[in-house]
Amino acid sequence: MSRIDVTTADIDIFDAPVTGTEREDFEAEAHEPAPRGHGLRGFLRRVWTLPSGVKIGGSIVGFFVLVAVFAPVLAPYGPQEGELADRLQGVGTAGHLLGTDGQGRDLLSRLIWGARPSLTAGILPVLFAALIGTSLGLVAGLGHRRTHGLIMRTLDVVYAFPAVLLAISIAAALGVGVTNVIIALSIVLVAPIARVVETEVIQVRGADFMDAARASGAGAVVTASKQVVPNILPTLVVYCTSLIGLAIVYAAGLSFLGLGVAPPNPEWGAILNDLRQNLYDEPMLALVPAAVIFIASVGFNVLGDGLRELLNVKEMA
Amino acid sequence: MLKFFLRRLLAIIPIVFGVIVVVFLTLKLIPGDPASALLGASATPSQRKQLIADLGLNRSIFVQFWNWFLAVLQGDLGHSILRQQPVGPMVMDAFWNTMILAVGASVIAIVGGLVIGGASALWPRTLFGRACNWIATGSVSTPQYSIGLGLIVIFAVNWEILPASGMYSSTGPQNFWDLLQHLILPAIAAGLAPMGIVARVFRSSLDDVMRADFVESYRARGAPSRKVLTHAAHNTMPALLTISGLQFGYLISGVVFVETIFSWPGLGLLIYNSIAQRDYPVIEGGVLILAVALVLINVLVDTAHAAIDPRVRPA
Repeated sequence: MSRIDVTTADIDIFDAPVTGTEREDFEAEAHEPAPRGHGLRGFLRRVWTLPSGVKIGGSIVGFFVLVAVFAPVLAPYGPQEGELADRLQGVGTAGHLLGTDGQGRDLLSRLIWGARPSLTAGILPVLFAALIGTSLGLVAGLGHRRTHGLIMRTLDVVYAFPAVLLAISIAAALGVGVTNVIIALSIVLVAPIARVVETEVIQVRGADFMDAARASGAGAVVTASKQVVPNILPTLVVYCTSLIGLAIVYAAGLSFLGLGVAPPNPEWGAILNDLRQNLYDEPMLALVPAAVIFIASVGFNVLGDGLRELLNVKEMA
Repeated sequence: MLKFFLRRLLAIIPIVFGVIVVVFLTLKLIPGDPASALLGASATPSQRKQLIADLGLNRSIFVQFWNWFLAVLQGDLGHSILRQQPVGPMVMDAFWNTMILAVGASVIAIVGGLVIGGASALWPRTLFGRACNWIATGSVSTPQYSIGLGLIVIFAVNWEILPASGMYSSTGPQNFWDLLQHLILPAIAAGLAPMGIVARVFRSSLDDVMRADFVESYRARGAPSRKVLTHAAHNTMPALLTISGLQFGYLISGVVFVETIFSWPGLGLLIYNSIAQRDYPVIEGGVLILAVALVLINVLVDTAHAAIDPRVRPA
């Protein structure tokens, strides 16, 4: 009797995935037909039916972008403003919502101003790397066998380098500054993007519509831009959105190590490194920039996941 | 299988050669020279000249490369400019420390990833399954330094139950138990992001397998759920193995932030410090060891993949 009980319990538990996947199939189909309606109501309805990842991630990303754009309006104090007498006030102090750092500067204001370099150093490298990496991937995927071999073997060598250390070495060689962080991260991110694009291009290459394009006399550039790029774009957009999350972490990490934005300037990683010196006096203070970097990174990753669902892109290992 | 392994091993030779060339050239491009770093600001020009000659830095770049390359082939990674020690043993010591940290982090990543990924694949509608899904998404994005500082604040500053730095305590017994206590916080900080990635890969591959026809046919024949799950789990092995290998490779090279925060005497920290001190031979040796280790891990993963999955074996 007890044996049967165990089995039914097992079935109860393990039968769940079947219903679960069916439900997800249904949901995935539900995204197919765009909800009808015009004007504001139609727009709102369309937004409402987006995958939750797009809504949540998009809100977080949108919030940070707005903060960065309107920093001068939003920040209660200037980024360098502060009295030594007010140093190391705790989180929640009157007049300083998130406390003050070791030099008495308002932490909230510094984080708001810091959104500018931190987001820039996360987004721009991915854009630059996407441009270069996509071109390389397209040439490798569509080009001659020898071209393919040359590009992919070169990328293998770049790939053999540990990404973080590569970024650190390049940043160290170039010296401090946001521009140098952007250059260092752009170089590091080219190889992974090129690899993803190459894999996608090879899958598209054999498709019938490619033969059709070639048969109707389309040149290499036209085929690449009109046939291939639209087909690989969803994967590329999803991948790059998640990469921005990673790039924000790396960019802040370089500043955290003292290789990115130079000290008096506000930048999330630099602020974190600064407050780390006071970890034993005011431990909560250092957790604020740590959490901000984390939330920004989560925002882009959740947005990437939502876009993956929306654009129906398969997860890559 | 041995043939497959050997063929893959041969294929990495050009990659390693490329790595050696790039490491050498990159470091030559770094501005500032080691002689000035060594002697300090008060050095006379003649002292500098003498030192540059001693270090062989005045010869042509090809001669420098050739000498270095020959030495590397013989296993000699040169001498640290600042520490006056042979680079080889120094780098290998640090490399093993990093391996300890990476293994600890991998245990957390794989065990946690299996539990979280499995739960979110098997019970996607329950609160627990959803929570696991969110934990996976959140931990993928965790910056090592954020979580590292958070752990130090909670466990070392507030509760004072775990050490915040180093591998062993300066007082007391330096045994395995001591090491384990020092390992816990850095391993969690380093292992959290890989854990999220392992969880996601496991979830999506388990999800795919559970929809496969053979699972349906097992169910139809009345196989108990536990047995179905065993077969399904077996089919997620290739994906799991590949991602674990990739993440292990990422860990041995990517823990520099954790090593900095927790003063863990690993290779990442050594290379980072050497970059600041312009100690070229140490950077060259360290990066070379890491790159070779990364490439070797990839070969091992590919071989193991071929061993458990006949589909990827060459005909």
